[in-house]
Amino acid sequence: MTDPWWLRVARSAAATAILSIALFVAAVVYTSTGGSARELLVKELLVNLMLVLGLQVFMGNTGILSFGHLAFAQVAAYAVAICAIPVATKAQQLPDLPFGLGDVHFGPLAATLIGVLVALALGAVVGIAVARTGGLAAAMITLAVLFVVDQVVKNWQELTKGAGGLSGVPILRGTVWLWLAAALAMFVANWFGETRAGRFAVATREDEIAAPSLGIGMFGARLTAWTVSIVVIGLAGSLRVQTIGSTNPRQYTLDAAVLVLAMLVVGGMRTVTGAVVGTAIITVGNETFRQLGDPQRLDIERFPDLFLGGALLLVMLVRPGGLLGDVDLAGWLRRATRRPRPAAERAAPARSAALVAEDVEVRFGGFTALDGAGLRVQPGEVIGLIGPNGAGKTTLFNVVTGLVESQSGVVRLGEHDLSRSRPHEVARAGLARTFQNLRLFANLSVRENVTIAALAAGRYRRDEPPVDVDGLIAAAGLTEWADRQARTLDYGNQRRLELARAAALSPEFLLLDEPTSGMSDDESAAMVAQVRTTAASVGAGVLVIDHDLAFITRISDHVVVLSEGVVIAEGTPDEVRRSPAVAAAYLGTHA
Amino acid sequence: MTTLLQNLVDGFGRGSTYALLALGISLIFGVMHLVNFAHAELITVGAYVAYGLSTRDVNWWVLIVAIVVSSVVASIAIERVAFRWVRNASPFTMLLTSFAIERLSHALWQVLVSPKKKSFPGPGWAFDTWKLGSVRFEIMDLLTIAITIGVLTLTALVFRRTLFGIAVRGAAEDFDAARLMGVRANRVISGAFAYAGFLAGVAAVLILMRSPTAEPTLGADWLLKAVVAAIIGGLGSFSGAVVGGLALGLAEVFLRSYLPDGTPQRLTDAFVFGLIALLFIARPSGLFKVATAERV
Repeated sequence: MTDPWWLRVARSAAATAILSIALFVAAVVYTSTGGSARELLVKELLVNLMLVLGLQVFMGNTGILSFGHLAFAQVAAYAVAICAIPVATKAQQLPDLPFGLGDVHFGPLAATLIGVLVALALGAVVGIAVARTGGLAAAMITLAVLFVVDQVVKNWQELTKGAGGLSGVPILRGTVWLWLAAALAMFVANWFGETRAGRFAVATREDEIAAPSLGIGMFGARLTAWTVSIVVIGLAGSLRVQTIGSTNPRQYTLDAAVLVLAMLVVGGMRTVTGAVVGTAIITVGNETFRQLGDPQRLDIERFPDLFLGGALLLVMLVRPGGLLGDVDLAGWLRRATRRPRPAAERAAPARSAALVAEDVEVRFGGFTALDGAGLRVQPGEVIGLIGPNGAGKTTLFNVVTGLVESQSGVVRLGEHDLSRSRPHEVARAGLARTFQNLRLFANLSVRENVTIAALAAGRYRRDEPPVDVDGLIAAAGLTEWADRQARTLDYGNQRRLELARAAALSPEFLLLDEPTSGMSDDESAAMVAQVRTTAASVGAGVLVIDHDLAFITRISDHVVVLSEGVVIAEGTPDEVRRSPAVAAAYLGTHA
Repeated sequence: MTTLLQNLVDGFGRGSTYALLALGISLIFGVMHLVNFAHAELITVGAYVAYGLSTRDVNWWVLIVAIVVSSVVASIAIERVAFRWVRNASPFTMLLTSFAIERLSHALWQVLVSPKKKSFPGPGWAFDTWKLGSVRFEIMDLLTIAITIGVLTLTALVFRRTLFGIAVRGAAEDFDAARLMGVRANRVISGAFAYAGFLAGVAAVLILMRSPTAEPTLGADWLLKAVVAAIIGGLGSFSGAVVGGLALGLAEVFLRSYLPDGTPQRLTDAFVFGLIALLFIARPSGLFKVATAERV
């Protein structure tokens, strides 16, 4: 990912080529033993694959459920139909075609392009809403869009001929174009996974709070993934109509959407390989079960549904991440061809800005969490923030990093006022944090966790010298596990990884919330050295909360004591230890 | 004025069915963060049980009991055989599990009974009309309103006064904390599914009294509206589900009657869903936001 662009393109192309060849060989073997019905199935598989890949680019990377992608495939299909049906046929089918579309006629390539553009135009509007909301609400918006498009298509007789659909679209000869389009879709999906935008989208999928804390804006990351996915799904719709020669609303119902969804999740939605495998399994399985049904009876649909429900249920119960989980050809290629960069000798950048919080007041309902607290961290300095449970330490962190809004007070980084900034703006300004209860990108590898932060630094903190990802991993003692998924690490290593990830943003200040919590005495002693070297390597000052007084005493230049929302003492560790107010706060004696 | 009253009655009739279903969905979401897309399959279960019994000339009063009981039993059974195994999985996995069950249910009824509609005689008296001034009520309308109010009152009592109800509400707010206080997870979740099954059973009775037919995809028509209603209300919020259901029912009926005459019937749905999309853009967490302070 920090690899050069040509290597990333080459990898995406290689992954696409391998998957395409595997599919092609399977298809040749399959069709050589049967008649034209089998060729039809191959076409269906390729169309399904494009639909699934379109969905994968969005859902797989952002983790947001979408029922509505088929709506855009449908829009593209109708746009293509209206552009590509010969003028004479169109005059018969659609005599009242509005906007002078009756005289329009384009070749397959131009029509496909128009289909994609029309889908994109509509998709962009919906995408803004989806990217803004996220979560279940976004899923509901996509569901609503699916229905609205369905109803409009069924009712706008002049344009769509209603529920009967349009026919007479020129059919593409042979399967070459379909193969090329499917390969293109695969390439786009693989390539998106290699881009910075793709990695950012994955970060938002993995943790909605950690991603902004690295400067990644949720809206932008989601909208980018959405836009790319709409292009792919628009291509799928355009080719579907030109493969079948007709289009109608029955191809794009909620049932069809669930079918595509099942193809994606059965194989594993997080990867392109998973999407390909899932599509193949469900398409072939569906067809097999369809042949089991008795065509003389009305109920030929029952067997495919039985298969679909059974397969989906089984996968969810046994392997909820899909059959392949995170096993991915592109990911494997990425690890295999990674070009380790020689660690550039980098001088820690000179910093001059101080982090200042003044008179911060926060109330949750009737409870006053912070009552005029404040502190100041000079560049390169390490400040310890201590206090009894409930003193407001984490709340102060949350105010500084924009997660909690204060009723009054000021937060400044140098001349930069951050009092009303959102979390990703705070991170871009140069504050990186860790979390008390660990917020790693759990399904990503150790290296990917750190690399995403380094990519964010490369995008939003351009004045900084490039970050040495491998160096940070080594400083955290994680080189050995660099390719392991973060969630498989033990607790201490997860904490060390979170520190390395925060440092990779190349921040002015690191804010560490209980970095030694859950660690043994030996580990927390070692943490003193790791925090100091890591911070020094990126030239960051440190503000650290901890309960371990030995750790705080050894690491801090200066200690601030918070109790019941106010600063009750500050000074060197020794001064603070001798302060009667601190003893009173901790032990409850009235000095 | 007459149309207004008539619309109110119709809207409330539709809306209360949505509300009963949405309440069940919201209840289950509250205890285990599952958006249950299989919930409306309980209606289908009730419908086939009623159809099966009615071929043996069973009295409608018995049918009503049978519908509710079968729905409760099916709800508990689905939790035992499927949802229990994904209880600790992500909400996404659970949602897809419920989708799988919905598909399987559609397929199984087709295989076991028939893909065709099976109608059976409804209670004739339900459609006797009753006039108040110039407004004409069907007995069914009044029954719907009475039953809904009754069930909602009962629900309020159960969740405010009984130990089970308090345990469920506690679990809905913070399951881990509730467990530490001695609430037994299996019992609370089974109980929640049983109660959701009861609510779906009552909704099934109302639906089947109006149109006594059983078909494999009967549930699908109601499901989406119920899910949408629950999410409009704010998943996990019980009063939200009721308000969401009623609002959706009223919106449908009023839109249908006030959209210009030329508007095709089916386009009303497009308007309803358009409004819903706008609502979610404005308020992503629904009307009644359930406080879930995430610790950071």
